[in-house]
Amino acid sequence: MTPARFYIGIFGALVALTLITVLVSSLQLPTAPRVVFGLAVAGAKASLIVLFFMHLKSEREMVFWPLALTAFLFVFLLAFVLWSEADHIVGPTLGS
Amino acid sequence: MHVLPYTTEVRADTGLTSPKLGIWLFLASEVMLFGSLFSSYALLRTGAASWPDQSAVLSVPLATLNTIILISSSVTMVLAWTALAPGPQAQNPARFKLYMGLTLLLGAAFLAVKAIEYGDKFAHGLFPATNTFLALYFTMTGVHAVHVLVGMAVNAYLLVSGARMWRTEPERFANRVEIAGIYWHFVDVVWVFLFPVLYLL
Repeated sequence: MTPARFYIGIFGALVALTLITVLVSSLQLPTAPRVVFGLAVAGAKASLIVLFFMHLKSEREMVFWPLALTAFLFVFLLAFVLWSEADHIVGPTLGS
Repeated sequence: MHVLPYTTEVRADTGLTSPKLGIWLFLASEVMLFGSLFSSYALLRTGAASWPDQSAVLSVPLATLNTIILISSSVTMVLAWTALAPGPQAQNPARFKLYMGLTLLLGAAFLAVKAIEYGDKFAHGLFPATNTFLALYFTMTGVHAVHVLVGMAVNAYLLVSGARMWRTEPERFANRVEIAGIYWHFVDVVWVFLFPVLYLL
């Protein structure tokens, strides 16, 4: 498979995931599944772009570990935010 | 004139060229920039007494179109680099120019759609000061749009000035295109998260 064909294949997957996430959002699911599904699809799309378009899959460890640390720190930041609001997180603002 | 070291050969201690390590470290800092905006969104929304129905305020069809536009620009960007990269296929600077030109066109289309969206909001009296959601929407998409603009400036420079460096130092130029591509893909990844968070949730 030529590189171009491979990238176009990834593009097809990204478009499909985009359409899936828009269609599912129109179903008006309850809060928790809606958030989890939306972020999961976004994470899948981001992974495809980072691993293949940015070549992280074939990149040296030297690149991978700073990014892993960054990801951990961001999750840490988000976790503290959500923890501080945990007592009323599923409220009027996130729908049913 | 002193040439920058390690633009084509790797450093022994990192195993990478300096630009490659540099762009990834820069993107790590950008993750924290956008990360702070996303966690602000999480804090403000979970703490709010009420929140508008986002998909009713914003245009999901326009944003879906913009998502496809930006993903397409990522594909044309990586194809632009593939046209110059060492490998089994012969290098083709004309193909680089075509795909880089398309990347710029798609970037411009993205910004045009955003301008239409913003104009529509303003026409309906919806501004950043109107409510917390709109403040977050304009700030997050605005900061992202500035990143798109800067990326386009870099890409335009590479498109216009590339011919000279391709003739004298082709590998160094191909590496420049790769680095610009990594930045551009990151801008796409940020939008991949902005789209569901601001429009769909």
